[in-house]
Amino acid sequence: MRSMLLALLAALGCGLFLPPAHADSELDLTPLEASQWNAAQAAHLASRAGFGASVDELSELAAMTPLDAVNAFIDGANIAPSHSDQIVNDSFQHSGIFDPELDPFPASRPATTMLAKKQGHALGVQVKTGGNRPLQPVVNKFFYWLRASRLETDRVAYWWANRMLASAHPLQEKAALFWHGHFASNEDKVRDYRKMLKQLELFQTAGLGDFRELLIGVAQDPAMLVFLDAGVNTKDSPNENFAREIMELFTMGVGEYGETDVREAARSFTGWSVQGLDFYVDAKNHDAGAKRFLGEVGNFNGIEIIDRILAQQVTSEFLASKLYRYFVREELSGEAQDQLGRLLREKQYNTGEFLRTLFLSKDFYQSQGTHIKSPVELVISTYKKMGFSQVPGVPDFNVVTGALGQRLMHPPTVAGWSQGRSWITPSLLFERGNFVLDVVFPDIGFIPPDRFPPFVQEVAKVQSRLREGMSVSAATRPTAMLTGEQMGGEMAQSNALADRDEAFNTRLGSMRGWQMALERVKPIKRNPAKVNLVSEVVAAELTTPRQVVDYYQSKFFSVKLPESVQLAMVDFLVSELGTEDIQAARSYLEEPLRKLLHQMLSRPEYQLG
Amino acid sequence: MKRRRLLQGFGSFAGLQVMMPHLNASELVAASLGKDDSPILVVLEMSGGNDGLNTIVPFADDDYYRLRPQIGIAKEKLLSMDEHFGFNPGLRGLQRLWKQGHLAVIHGCGYEKPSYSHFNSMAYWHTGAPNRGDEFGWMGRVADQLAPQRREEMLINVGTSQSLAVKSRVHTPLVFDDPNRFQRNSWMGEGPSDMAGAAKDISANQDFLLAVSESAKTSSSRIRQAWNNYTPGADYGVAPMDLPKVAACIAAGMPTQLYHVAVRNNAFDTHVAQPALHQRLLSYVSDAVHGFIADMERIGQGHRVVVMLHSEFGRRPMENANLGTDHGSSNIMMLAGAPVQSGHFGDVPSLVGLQDGDNIQYTTDFRRVYATVIEDWLGVKANTVLNGDFARLQLFG
Repeated sequence: MRSMLLALLAALGCGLFLPPAHADSELDLTPLEASQWNAAQAAHLASRAGFGASVDELSELAAMTPLDAVNAFIDGANIAPSHSDQIVNDSFQHSGIFDPELDPFPASRPATTMLAKKQGHALGVQVKTGGNRPLQPVVNKFFYWLRASRLETDRVAYWWANRMLASAHPLQEKAALFWHGHFASNEDKVRDYRKMLKQLELFQTAGLGDFRELLIGVAQDPAMLVFLDAGVNTKDSPNENFAREIMELFTMGVGEYGETDVREAARSFTGWSVQGLDFYVDAKNHDAGAKRFLGEVGNFNGIEIIDRILAQQVTSEFLASKLYRYFVREELSGEAQDQLGRLLREKQYNTGEFLRTLFLSKDFYQSQGTHIKSPVELVISTYKKMGFSQVPGVPDFNVVTGALGQRLMHPPTVAGWSQGRSWITPSLLFERGNFVLDVVFPDIGFIPPDRFPPFVQEVAKVQSRLREGMSVSAATRPTAMLTGEQMGGEMAQSNALADRDEAFNTRLGSMRGWQMALERVKPIKRNPAKVNLVSEVVAAELTTPRQVVDYYQSKFFSVKLPESVQLAMVDFLVSELGTEDIQAARSYLEEPLRKLLHQMLSRPEYQLG
Repeated sequence: MKRRRLLQGFGSFAGLQVMMPHLNASELVAASLGKDDSPILVVLEMSGGNDGLNTIVPFADDDYYRLRPQIGIAKEKLLSMDEHFGFNPGLRGLQRLWKQGHLAVIHGCGYEKPSYSHFNSMAYWHTGAPNRGDEFGWMGRVADQLAPQRREEMLINVGTSQSLAVKSRVHTPLVFDDPNRFQRNSWMGEGPSDMAGAAKDISANQDFLLAVSESAKTSSSRIRQAWNNYTPGADYGVAPMDLPKVAACIAAGMPTQLYHVAVRNNAFDTHVAQPALHQRLLSYVSDAVHGFIADMERIGQGHRVVVMLHSEFGRRPMENANLGTDHGSSNIMMLAGAPVQSGHFGDVPSLVGLQDGDNIQYTTDFRRVYATVIEDWLGVKANTVLNGDFARLQLFG
């Protein structure tokens, strides 16, 4: 056991030192030879085509040929431990927060109350015929769904994170994460976790197949239709949002089409609409007239527009380059972009086949340690390397990744997340180290954000004032006004007007919305991370602090720490242990190892993969 | 008069460094606190494309109501401004600033051959280089002129990721979101996790990470301290747009002259059901700006601070069928603060004879506003930053 592990890990440190390709030349896409395959190459493949590998998975991969290893990632042969089956095969367990009266959900709170005033009911709730605040129950239900859908979306993100960690087909999840950033929709605007889940399932099932199928799927996807306002795109006034983004962000890139193309494409997509979770074409709102698009004239419908976009050479180059930047490296010459576009066309826009060639190529194995891990990659791969079989409940996955800049189901704009260096700011670099600390030393002050939403302090104050017996108007007055605090003598309009309409009270509705949502949304299990560093060190029969540092260096890092830093880490561990004999310190070894790991994984070098 | 006094004050931090070379950076700040009169610019980006026409509403122009039969705001609903324009009902804070003489509205801001892409157009605004772009941001280039040698805390950018606007050749912008989280949590004493180590043959990304790590070490505690020592002295409203964090830095006497904050998530992209949403977003921005200016007055810094508000583009004058508006071109910009000359600037664009598919023809190159702020407020030669001469406006009297 020991010799095998050490040999494996020793091999990790020495990647292929092939000369880097010239920046202005084509990429070397010829397959890596079987003789060049070793644990370092296997680890690189696992980190890019998946979320890294545990020690067991790595030894399995290293024993394969490069072709078998790559095929395992592309086709999903089982390379994961057996416990994963259950997690991955479980579909998402709904809490049961939805009822059909919530559909269609109005665009805003004012739209809801206007609708209720007009028709006497909204969201399945009648307007009260007498008494105080006749619209209050409607407003409560409005806020209930906003809150409940948000919390349920956090559960969807947890479900997905567990699949990333434990799936036997991790590339499926890695590709879904790519498409989630490429075809970005945000639950804040979609406001329906069911649509977000449906979109995610599309990315998971179609993400490694035919791009045309995926693109049509996205164009008819309820979350996307809502997110880009396509659902209200009608013949009389085409809405350009979707038509623009499909060309600018999803297929061709800016500058490859004109404003007329945007408007004509928008006409072709008119009538594409959504009811609940179903796409349909509303024929009376579809503009079937002639359009001029990218130099051609015809009575194009949306599918025909998509086919014309896919016929553009630039589409293949745009998409192939984006995939390459995500999976391989950020720098890319003009020649290489052409070359990758050709490859994608040769593979008939099949993403999986395109990636198979990339992952087999010599070029791919020259990109070790050049990639800045995205927050989700960082978190999941850290868990994977620590040997976890489940994403811990403490720290909260969504809070951690959100603080690091990548909250799943909440990409910042339709352009998704900028990758690479944009993940790193001075404060985000600290956050990355703090995440590791939160894993190895769980915070005893941890408050589950799905039980005590931290971003609604004002709402919590409303509740406590109501419990003290205050009237609704007094309890919902903004804090500044309530305490008579002099805020420069002038109150902000948004605060002063919060409770303007006597037919309902927004703050009360917000508070009741939280209460109702917390009642119905299932809690996320809050098991802390099961960290056990001693057993691994014992199993590997490591005897000196230097060996421990080397072991972690090999297991967790893609680039070597400077020798001076490694020596400082060794000194740190020695001083924590009070001895240089690991076996002698075995009974109290766990905490010093955790401290060491926190120190090492806080390093800037750990951000590279 | 205002300007001369400021230009004398400008650069006093560097002056102190010459006079008191034995002091370190934080002692220098302490020494200069209360004396430093260097001008400060805060840029607030209204991302998503704010609808300028429904922000400062030309109610006297019949074409406005012709183009916007549904979402045009009736004169009696507007907050009064003058005989031609009214404020969106959400802009009570800005209306107060207007009445105090602390708000300038610049009309028709845009550029030749406008991009209707959020991301492209914003990149043009970030770099001040329309249809061309630049490796560095316009604020970053201003910082390079203010201090040609690398200095910490030249640029502060509150946000989850760094804006292109602050990217600088010389300086590392200080970027943070939550000041309380801007720290390296350690466990029972310090370890070697943040030591520098000489590494050879490293990738560009590794080099970048090491530089950011160095920068983070020096400034994080100052930001946290500034935040913890600060209590807002004005009502910033329900969504303060990160301006209290800027106020905390200024109140702590940080030497920073350039701050960047943004409305998150492209919020102003109002294609559908615009009126209620837009008014709410505007009230957040307006409350935050008013609160910030009032807070600066309170701590005696009002004369040093100017806030600039802009979007990547305006919206189409003609409403769409979904009670919203689509991407347009020319737009208003606003400057707020005591040093600002109040009033309307730039030619008000015509709503007839629309260009390029029903868009408003711009009348004021937005770089004229940049040039004015760069030269007349920050005291830097504008053409060294903008690579060209742009006629300045009388925004500072």
